[in-house]
Amino acid sequence: MEKLNTIISNHISNWNMVWFGLIFWGSVFNAIAANYETTLSPILWYACGLLLGTVAKIRGTWLWKA
Amino acid sequence: MEGVGQVAEEFSFDKEKEIARSFSKRFQWEMMLIGVGQATIWLCLWPLVIYGYISLFVGSLIAIVCACFAYLPSHEAQHGNFSRGNPKRRWIDSFVSHYTLITLMFPHDLMRCTHMKHHAYTNNPEKDPDYDTASSKSIWGVIVATQAGITKYQSIAETYKDDKAFMKSFHKGLNVALMYRAILLILVVMFPLEALLLWWLPSKVGVIYLSAFFSWYPHYQMDTGRYKDTKFWSHWMPRYLNHSMQLHFVHHLHPGIGHYDEPKAIEALKPFLVARKVPGAEEIPERVEYNPLIKL
Repeated sequence: MEKLNTIISNHISNWNMVWFGLIFWGSVFNAIAANYETTLSPILWYACGLLLGTVAKIRGTWLWKA
Repeated sequence: MEGVGQVAEEFSFDKEKEIARSFSKRFQWEMMLIGVGQATIWLCLWPLVIYGYISLFVGSLIAIVCACFAYLPSHEAQHGNFSRGNPKRRWIDSFVSHYTLITLMFPHDLMRCTHMKHHAYTNNPEKDPDYDTASSKSIWGVIVATQAGITKYQSIAETYKDDKAFMKSFHKGLNVALMYRAILLILVVMFPLEALLLWWLPSKVGVIYLSAFFSWYPHYQMDTGRYKDTKFWSHWMPRYLNHSMQLHFVHHLHPGIGHYDEPKAIEALKPFLVARKVPGAEEIPERVEYNPLIKL
């Protein structure tokens, strides 16, 4: 059980930005696109979120470095 | 205690403490009302927006105001200012703090343990959890510091890894933080724009507001040590818009003084603060004004 907790905890601290980008920003981008009635596939908007999260993970921050 | 024994007998620490204690007894009902009230209003915004009774834009503006009011009631609870040492009333501290912090997505236990360390090591670059914002060169620096997110807490945990009580609270808080994150990610799939504008954005604005007025202004360019780590400062805003943080130094001296009793306490303690050379103490007015709640 402790090992599982450690694995989950490590995964979250390493990949939280990527998951957040995919799910949170992907959903938000998709909703905004739907509001403007774009015909592009939702997959594209979720991919944008994933890309944003991946860039944030590589840079270590969402916006500016302190 | 640094600086405590260096003034005339009439301004002794014991006398200062006695006066402070007389302002540390009242039940902080205003704070409870604000904390429970803002969180309840914020929760009500969700059905009101989802069912179209109010627009998302209006809901978001109200949520931002709620977020700015969310921390201070928890802050009182972190210092036990609702229970006042009565074990039977400790649930009020816990309830108010957990409930009010929902708007900010902050976990009570994490806030409490890091805030206690902030009091113990104010302005210490290695040990003060708020040092990143307090040492920012400008408001912009504060905004940048607020988006450090999990990295900041990883470094705090590293500093206090040998402090068992701290780490226990820290991990407890971390679990609540993860729960908040999971709820946000579930909500965003169902109600994407509502999750963004009713929760995520207001919490960000709230954190920037708090960092600027609670951490930066009162501690910026200050030293370490009692009477030196926090200052009296002035601002164009009426006090009730910045949560009276000009008076934050008295909180660092006597955390038991209730927030809405601080103006009266400062008026009474002014000679002591001047004698101790608290930064800005000579500029404290004889009567601290512009706080509507103190007159209720």
